[in-house]
Amino acid sequence: MTWDALWPLLWQGTLDTLWMVVPAALCAQLIGTALGVLLTLTRPDGLHPQRPLFRVLDAAVNVGRSLPFIILLVLLIPFTRLITGTSIGSTAAIVPLTVAAIPFVARLVDGALKDVPRGVVDAARAMGASTAQTVFKVLLPEARPALIHAFTVMIVSLIGYSAMAGAIGGGGLGDLAIRYGYQRFETGVMIATVAALLVLVQLTQWAGDRAAARSDHR
Amino acid sequence: MPDLTPPDVLDFQNVSKTYPGQPRPALNDLTLRVPRGSRTGVIGRSGAGKSTLVRLISGLETPDAGRLLVRGDALGPATRAAHQARTGLVFQQFNLLAQRTVLRNVTLPLELRGVPRARRDALAREHLDLVGLGEYAGRYPAQLSGGQKQRVGIARALVTAPDLLLADEATSALDPETSAGILNLLLDLQRERDLTLVIVTHQLEVVRAVTTHVAVLDAGQLVETGETAAVLRAPRHAATRALLDAHRPQVPLAPDETLRRVTLPDLNPDTLAALARAGARIVQAEPHPQGLDVWIAAPAASPEWAVLA
Ligand SMILES: Nc1ncnc2c1ncn2[C@@H]1O[C@H](COP(=O)(O)OP(=O)(O)O)[C@@H](O)[C@H]1O
Ligand SMILES: [Mg+2]
Repeated sequence: MTWDALWPLLWQGTLDTLWMVVPAALCAQLIGTALGVLLTLTRPDGLHPQRPLFRVLDAAVNVGRSLPFIILLVLLIPFTRLITGTSIGSTAAIVPLTVAAIPFVARLVDGALKDVPRGVVDAARAMGASTAQTVFKVLLPEARPALIHAFTVMIVSLIGYSAMAGAIGGGGLGDLAIRYGYQRFETGVMIATVAALLVLVQLTQWAGDRAAARSDHR
Repeated sequence: MPDLTPPDVLDFQNVSKTYPGQPRPALNDLTLRVPRGSRTGVIGRSGAGKSTLVRLISGLETPDAGRLLVRGDALGPATRAAHQARTGLVFQQFNLLAQRTVLRNVTLPLELRGVPRARRDALAREHLDLVGLGEYAGRYPAQLSGGQKQRVGIARALVTAPDLLLADEATSALDPETSAGILNLLLDLQRERDLTLVIVTHQLEVVRAVTTHVAVLDAGQLVETGETAAVLRAPRHAATRALLDAHRPQVPLAPDETLRRVTLPDLNPDTLAALARAGARIVQAEPHPQGLDVWIAAPAASPEWAVLA
C-alpha cells in the first residue's frame, strides 16, 4: 500500500480511536471518581463507615477490574444496544470501554484519596467542614496530582482496550491493524498502526505527567 | 444583667473515651476544668491520651461516658459548629493543605463558613501579618520552613477569632530555637487577645515556659493538677517525676554536687563570674522564651544560688 492510500486510513483510524477513548475516559473519570470517593468515605476507618455498602462496592470494583475486557465486551452487548441502539461500531464501543474503566478509576481514586494525610482531614473537620466540603475542598484538591496521574493511566489503558474493541467491528486503529495487517498480511499497515498507537500513548503519557507535575505543589 | 458566661471554657466531668476495638480507655474518668483566660498545660508521655482530649474538645470524638462542657454547652449536632468556630487548633504536623497557597490555607476556615471572598482575604492577610508572614501569602507550604509552617498554622487557627486556642504538640517537630519563637508568639497572642490557651505536650520545658496551670495525664488518667510552678517544684505523682527526670541531662556528678535548672536572660560575664565563685559549672543550655534554660551542676551548699535562682 502506498503512503497516499495509507494516510487517510491511519487518520480515520486515529479519529475513531479518539472518538471511542475520549468520551469513555470522561464518563469513566466522572463515575469512577464518584465511586472512589464513596469507597473512601464508607470504608471502616472512613468518615462515614457503612460496612455493607463498602463491601458491595469494593467487591464490585474488584470483579470489574478482574474481568477480561473481551468478555466484558460480549457480556455488555445487550446493555450497549439499549444505550446506543447498536452493538457494533465506534460509538457502541464507548459503552464497554466506559464500563471497563470505571472500576479502574475508582480504585486509583480510592488510593489517591487515602494518601491525603489523616491529620489534614481531621484539621478540616475540626474547623467545621461538612462531608461535602471535606470531599470538594480538601480530599479531591489535595489528591489532584494523583487524580491526574490516574486519568492518564486510564486513557493509556483505554487506548489499548479500544484496539480490542476494534476487533469486533469497533473501528479505530486496532480494527485497521486486524483488517490489513492480520487478515491481508499488509505488514506495512500493521507497523504504521502500531506506530500511531505508540505516538498516541506517548503523547498522552507526556501530557499527563506534565499536568500532574505542574499541579503538584508538594 | 448577670453575666451568664460560665467561668470555665472547658469542663470535663468524669469523661471516658475508649476507641473501638481498643482494650483500654484512651481517657478514663477525667475531671478537669480550664478557666477562661488561663494558660493550661496538659502533659503526659506518648499514648497518655492527650490528643484524645483535644479530639473531644474539637468535636472529632464524643465521650462514651461523662460530660464535656465547652463554654457551658455539651457538644452536639446543634452546638458543635458554633463552638468549632471559636476553637482554634494548632498541630504538631501543621496539617496545612499542600496544594493550597499560604493565603488559601488561612482563608479555609472562613471559606467553610461562607465568608465572602474579599472579607476572608483581608482577614487572612491581616493574620499572616500578625505572625510575620505577610510576604509569604503566595507561597506553598512546601516552600516554608517548619517554624514558618507552624506560624501559618497559628494564623489559620486565629482567623476565625476564637477565644480558645488548643496547641497539640505544636513545637514537638521543631528545633529548640524555633520552638522558643513559636511559644513566644503563642504567649503574646494569648495576652493580646485574651485567649484561653491549652498547650498539649510531652515536653516539660514547654509547660514550664508557657503555662500557669498544668494537668498531668498518664495512661488515660489525670494524675496531678495544679499551678505549674508548684507541680514542677514538688511533683507528687510518679509519672510527673518521671517526666521531670527524663529532662535532666545525663552527666556524671561529684558526690556533693546537685543538678539545678535556672532560666537566665543571657550568659553575661557577671553571671559567669558568679557561677565560677559558686564552684558551679554549666552542663546544658537551651533557648527559652525568657532567655536561656540552663542546667547547672554545683555544690549542694553553694550560697550563690540565691543570686542565680
Ligand atoms: N484512632 C484511634 N483508634 C484506636 N486507638 C487510638 C486512636 N487514637 C489513639 N488511640 C489510642 O489511644 C491512646 C491515647 O492516644 P492519644 O490520645 O493519641 O495519646 P497522646 O496524644 O497522649 O500520645 C493510645 O493508646 C492510642 O494508641
Ligand atoms: Mg498526641
